[in-house]
Amino acid sequence: MAGNFWQSSHYQQWILDKQDLIRERQQDLAVLSEEEYQKIFIFFSNFIQVLGEHLKLRQQVIATATVYFKRFYARNSLKNIDPLLLAPTCLFLASKVEEFGQISNSRMINTCQGVVKTKFGYAYPQEFPYRANHILECEFYLLENLDCCLIVYQPYRPLLQMIQDIGHEDQLLSLAWRLVNDSLRTDVCLLYAPYQIAIGCLQIACVIQQKDGLKSWFAELNVDIDKIQEITRYIVNLFELWKSYNEKTEIHSLLAKMPKAKPQSNR
Amino acid sequence: MQKYEKLEKIGEGTYGTVFKAKNRETLEIVAMKRVRLDDDDEGVPSSALREICLLKELKHKNIVRLYDVLHSEKKLVLIFEYCEQDLKKYFDSLNCDIDMNIVKSFLYQLLRGLAFCHNNNVLHRDLKPQNLLITRSGELKLADFGLARAFGIPVKCYSAEVVTLWYRPPDVLFGAKLYTTSIDMWSAGCIFSELANNGRPLFPGTDVDDQLKKIFKVLGTPTEESWPGVTQLPDYKPFPIYVPNLNLPQMVPRLNIKGRDLLQKLIVCRPSGRISADEAMAHPYFHDNPRPAPKTK
Ligand SMILES: Nc1ncnc2c1ncn2[C@@H]1O[C@H](COP(=O)(O)OP(=O)(O)O)[C@@H](O)[C@H]1O
Repeated sequence: MAGNFWQSSHYQQWILDKQDLIRERQQDLAVLSEEEYQKIFIFFSNFIQVLGEHLKLRQQVIATATVYFKRFYARNSLKNIDPLLLAPTCLFLASKVEEFGQISNSRMINTCQGVVKTKFGYAYPQEFPYRANHILECEFYLLENLDCCLIVYQPYRPLLQMIQDIGHEDQLLSLAWRLVNDSLRTDVCLLYAPYQIAIGCLQIACVIQQKDGLKSWFAELNVDIDKIQEITRYIVNLFELWKSYNEKTEIHSLLAKMPKAKPQSNR
Repeated sequence: MQKYEKLEKIGEGTYGTVFKAKNRETLEIVAMKRVRLDDDDEGVPSSALREICLLKELKHKNIVRLYDVLHSEKKLVLIFEYCEQDLKKYFDSLNCDIDMNIVKSFLYQLLRGLAFCHNNNVLHRDLKPQNLLITRSGELKLADFGLARAFGIPVKCYSAEVVTLWYRPPDVLFGAKLYTTSIDMWSAGCIFSELANNGRPLFPGTDVDDQLKKIFKVLGTPTEESWPGVTQLPDYKPFPIYVPNLNLPQMVPRLNIKGRDLLQKLIVCRPSGRISADEAMAHPYFHDNPRPAPKTK
């Protein structure tokens, strides 16, 4: 749905305040440092991405699933639901909402098993532990926690429009597009409007490709410059973190440290 | 689920049963739609999801309001604002001619709800009297967004989903896969005529062929000249050439001349020739007194 963003549930209910976000995370941040918390979310964003690609889903569906995932934990502790179960559930729900065509639950479980074994064995040496009934139950819980706000606006469309406005810049587009994907590993999708994220990513792409000529184009945009700067800072910080981070060696102990659901029931 | 007390059954939908219910705290009467979840592989049915997520975005006085979504083991329950009856039941309960001002008011509200959907890039796709709810104070609200969707998305296996053909435009009957807002405008035209005739449907076809034949006998069989591209539609097949035989005074005798003009602009075979919801609301039919406003029955 490409309706009116300003009247959408995305704008009215799900552009969150930074302070609120920090407050909601208190419980988890008592156990994990902010950086460790972010590393866990980077890991699961990657998991959703890889799973989505194996299921041959469009990037839009993968991005929507990632936003569901982040929205859920913006209101819940990691121990409320195991993220390893929530991640495929988000893809399952997003594929229905985005009208991509249904992925059957059994195919989802099979793909999870395969992907965990072949791609994420360094984090999960055991077999993927969940079954179809877990996903079904989790879907309800997710739906409720999202307050049924399922339509998510993404930065991709505004980005395409801006690139069209600038004139065909294929390299610039592909870099900015990848930056939008990267931005899903930060909190920006919870804090800023998609068109602002698109502008932030485009701006970084221009700096990287040294497109100084576009300065005046940016100057003419009627946007809140401070917000755009905050967005670019989030993404630059992500790059900084990536430089000194080796997921393969660190993630196992991070997952061990993560607050967990009690084994019997998570409801 | 303790929050609501279930009262009597009021309808049967495609993916669940609708009950009247009472909020135990506020005593407010609501409509409760229970969604069966029998397919473990699908989870929450995509038609229910579509309805939930679109109604969450579409808040308008002419669109039924979704208050709440509850779940329990194996069941999903949608709580809607309650409306007295649907337009079909309203027709069935008429025992004299419908007031032409009510016709005007209902059509105007239908168009206003549709304009809102269309301006938000949502197509209803399944307009029919059963899906138009009427409140006690004469407000009309669009309901049943289970088939609705964002535009421009090709639809697979449409025919399997179809319940009634009477409100389908010829382009869809010929298998057009890419829908635009014009599909809802055709349905609005059929409903307008039905309103003006105390609930007698305009084109009550029995199957796809009969449906198209009934339409063409009135509007004339379309040709490449009158409707470029018609012969390229996936399920196109030639029909006998009927010449247009649109006798509006006979078809909708109680409708005034401006109303007839508006009807004629809605039921146009070529999709791009149909008037839009915004344009229809500005039609002179609505300029005459009394202006359309919710009326008490
Ligand atoms: N909010 C409501 N208030 C009163 N009656 C309703 C309401 N929603 C549905 N109904 C009744 O239930 C019937 C079926 O509901 P509907 O939403 O059309 O189901 P479906 O989408 O499964 O076909 C309607 O025709 C109407 O008579």
